[in-house]
Amino acid sequence: MAEELVLDSAIRDWVLVPLSLVMVLIGVLRHFVSKCMSSQPEPDAKALKESQIVLRARYLRAAANYIPAKSFRMRKSYFNNEENGLLHVPKGQGQNVQAQMLSDPNMAMDMMKKNLSMIIPQTLTFAWVNFFFSGFVTAKIPFPLTQRFRGMLQNGIDLSSVDVSYVSSRSWYFLNLFGLRGLFSLILGEDNATDDTQKLMQTQMAMQMGGFGADPAKALGAEKEGLDLVQHEWLLPQIEQRAAAVLSQILA
Amino acid sequence: DSLALSAENVQHNLRIAYYCRTFLSIVAGAIAGVLGLTGVYGFLCYFLVMLCASAGLAAKTRFNTSAFFDSWHRVAFDGFLQGLMSFVLFWTLVYDIVHIF
Repeated sequence: MAEELVLDSAIRDWVLVPLSLVMVLIGVLRHFVSKCMSSQPEPDAKALKESQIVLRARYLRAAANYIPAKSFRMRKSYFNNEENGLLHVPKGQGQNVQAQMLSDPNMAMDMMKKNLSMIIPQTLTFAWVNFFFSGFVTAKIPFPLTQRFRGMLQNGIDLSSVDVSYVSSRSWYFLNLFGLRGLFSLILGEDNATDDTQKLMQTQMAMQMGGFGADPAKALGAEKEGLDLVQHEWLLPQIEQRAAAVLSQILA
Repeated sequence: DSLALSAENVQHNLRIAYYCRTFLSIVAGAIAGVLGLTGVYGFLCYFLVMLCASAGLAAKTRFNTSAFFDSWHRVAFDGFLQGLMSFVLFWTLVYDIVHIF
């Protein structure tokens, strides 16, 4: 039987709501600050051209079966032609761009700035919460938890007979941290600076693409082989008759 | 014959579905808090609201999900558990505001 604690409504007015409000506002602030501070790296014309070529080749591979065989072969030879096909890169050129990409201080600085701008407000807020709001019961979690969580959730509270559902402000801070991500994605749009997991995935993808763009020769070579492998199968047989049938049905 | 789906549009639709679910999980938290549900009932409420979200999305596509998404179980069950943290946060907040204080 859990005893019901009666908590002062001043806690609700001065701790729960202000803490959530502050975290939302700091998140919004961080988002706009990171937008101001983010430096757009100047796009390199050659790299851009190559990535667009790769994209075109990919589209061709994906939609190969919707164009007639002759058109497909024509496009394929445009890409894979041995002398001046777009995807054919002579051996010497590959390494130039690689060296350039690896020693790219701008990208590293950018990532560091982003990381810092994420960590600092979190640390500051956590310190603030600890300093001002410790030593009392803040909220009650509406579902029961086991005794193991006591050490984690009831940090400042030194009574061991209090139900584990009554938590301290530190755990309220963490609950807010995780729960407000959904809210931020709603009010700030998809690409906001507050989402940790998105940030991690982005840095991972940037690493992958950084290594990927470092050998464009490989990317082009891979696309070339992919194109070579495509078996063309014409998916729209007798399309003229079918279109005529549909039209006559509509118009009849 | 198979319908060709534009990848961009499918992604856009999935994003819309995700926004709907996020918003509904916040609303579900508020509902659970106001009703004073605790423990299992609260989570039951969350799953109920998520199912209503799936039903609503299916009805919006006039039950022709293959025209909008690549598979029907994607639209029904994707992002089910992503709103859980927001739900718990708002559930705790509203429950405390209404019942404890």
